[in-house]
Amino acid sequence: MEATTREANGGPFRTYSEGAAIHLPGIDALTDQLVNGITLGMLYILVALGLNIILGLMGVINFSHGSFFMLGAYLTYQLNGAFKNIPGGFWWAILAAAVIVGLLGMAFESLLIRPLYKRIPEYTLLLTFGTALIFAQLVRKWWGDDAVRVDTPSYIPQSANVFGLQLPFYKDILLVIVTIVILTLVWLLLNKTNIGVIIKAGTRDAEMVKILGINMPLMFTLVFGIGSLMAGLAGALAAPVYAIQPNWASQWIVLTFAIVIVGGIGSFWGAIVGGLVIGIAQSLMALLFPPAVEVTAFLVMGIILLVRPRGLFGVEGLFE
Amino acid sequence: MSRQSRAAALFTHPLLWTALLIAVLPFVAGANPFAGQGGFVDIATTMIIFGLFASGFNLLFGHVGELSFGHAMFFTLGAYVTALYTKGFNVQVLGLTLQHGAAGNMVIALVLSLIFALLWAWLLARIIVPRSSGIYFSMITLAFAQVIFFITYRWNELTGGEDGMQSIARPQIFGIEWMNSSAHFYWFAAAVVFVTLCVLYWIINSPFGSVLHAIRENKQRARFLGYDVDKFRVNAFVLSAAFPAVAGWLWTYFQQAINPDAGSIEYSGNVVMMSLLGGSQTFLGPILGAALYHELQNGVSQATKYWEAWIGVVFVVFVLIGPRGIMGLIDDVRHYGIANAVRRLFSRRARVQTDLVEELPPLDEPVASEVSR
Repeated sequence: MEATTREANGGPFRTYSEGAAIHLPGIDALTDQLVNGITLGMLYILVALGLNIILGLMGVINFSHGSFFMLGAYLTYQLNGAFKNIPGGFWWAILAAAVIVGLLGMAFESLLIRPLYKRIPEYTLLLTFGTALIFAQLVRKWWGDDAVRVDTPSYIPQSANVFGLQLPFYKDILLVIVTIVILTLVWLLLNKTNIGVIIKAGTRDAEMVKILGINMPLMFTLVFGIGSLMAGLAGALAAPVYAIQPNWASQWIVLTFAIVIVGGIGSFWGAIVGGLVIGIAQSLMALLFPPAVEVTAFLVMGIILLVRPRGLFGVEGLFE
Repeated sequence: MSRQSRAAALFTHPLLWTALLIAVLPFVAGANPFAGQGGFVDIATTMIIFGLFASGFNLLFGHVGELSFGHAMFFTLGAYVTALYTKGFNVQVLGLTLQHGAAGNMVIALVLSLIFALLWAWLLARIIVPRSSGIYFSMITLAFAQVIFFITYRWNELTGGEDGMQSIARPQIFGIEWMNSSAHFYWFAAAVVFVTLCVLYWIINSPFGSVLHAIRENKQRARFLGYDVDKFRVNAFVLSAAFPAVAGWLWTYFQQAINPDAGSIEYSGNVVMMSLLGGSQTFLGPILGAALYHELQNGVSQATKYWEAWIGVVFVVFVLIGPRGIMGLIDDVRHYGIANAVRRLFSRRARVQTDLVEELPPLDEPVASEVSR
């Protein structure tokens, strides 16, 4: 059986043929997988950064983050169909899906997470685990168990030639550019605006910021909204690349945890480096020893933990 | 101790109630008196096996205050080791051929399950426990559980991959196939579960258990008293892995089949829920919780295909209003009467007061010194 492409096989992690043995790759295959890894890494970065911002400021582990990612993809599927006749409908669908997920995140925070702030952080993990179960079933009910797909509009070229490499245009070029733009925006938001300053100060000492007269509950809701929006956006951008399935949420959330642990909790650059490292490691493993693709992320995490217990960019004593 | 209080102590003894629960379950589990339907033995078996699993998990969650979100890895390890021992295997690893014929000795299967689960737990504990606690600990255990899950899911030659293994023989006692009847197997499982729970009860009420409680209440203070906190946490982690392994051993024999689901996040999450449902700071809580969970699952899954959503709803409700679970409610009723107990259920202050861990400022952070500087 030949190794099949990710798209054809459904989930993002089925890149290989069954029962393949270890073999050494050629240079072409290596470049291919490296590019694949970077693309995958971009999506990982978006999801992990959203989780990391929420975790960093609020100390809330959002298990439903994967569900927001999945919802972003399904909403894009739904809206892409609805916006078929609008010029640029595809992009509006992505944007609308992300915004809806962001708003949903804000409502979610103020209704369910807020009563738990005074309590131990484990409860938010348990609560969001429960809501993740609910989201998964709702998605199954509305969109069915079978995978759905989103097609990129016809004006986006199939592939393009970059440095002599023939690359799928949307997946390997557009997606990377869009992600870099989003990351730049988030960096600017965190570092060059008042909101960013408050968020960063709140990460250090929420109480002190509250004393300075900042409406912290509002800030928390906003941050949760931004984090969810990023998850939704990642899902929306991933929608045309992979087949969308109800098990996306559980597949991605644990990986995201691994990325956050590798990068370090609450660190912007940690999420970026962690996402890229895991994405590339997984893609290379797909070449080297396919059955171990899924385990790779956790092995990398284990090694990093041994060397740096707080992750690559983590700070000692945060949220323990 | 007066005679009366000794009688009262006996009457409220958790092991007595555990025994009663186990004795009653096969007659009431999944029963529907309106349809004139009795209990289902198979549901009862599931309940007690998960009761053991959840109790072991709760040694860490309720008694040390560490939430492990990956305890299904020990369950699935015990289950797979038993299945592999019983069915035999023949695989190539790095040029070496590992093989083992089919075998039927259930004691050896149990010992092997325990050895593998405890070794893995010890290895993990040495890596994780000194380096992390709190939510960080939960995330890391969850991620490591995925390692075991994907090994069972992907190593087709050994584990049968997604489909797992089927037609695993139940153990024979003196060459008699006594356990092939569901009812007989229930009583066998019940005996194993009860004996194992007695061991757990003994651990919790030993001096070792008291130190664990001290660590739960205040890690720093326990350290000042001279206890090597991390060593106790490592030991508790390893011990709490043994019970899921025994449960996994029973599970394989009960199902006579095994698939990777046994190690999935859902299983890890479900035992957390069972502990919460019953009351995580009590001995009886997880067992009661496991029984309630499966009763609920049985009821709802008959009504809708999307029953997991309703499990999620119960999860959310219990986290929001009743983290002390059913046993906490019973306790409140005994102390404050029914009306006040219900009032406390909706009082936020009471909830914060009775949280698992008191939130005290960690002393190793320079709180005062920084100000004076």
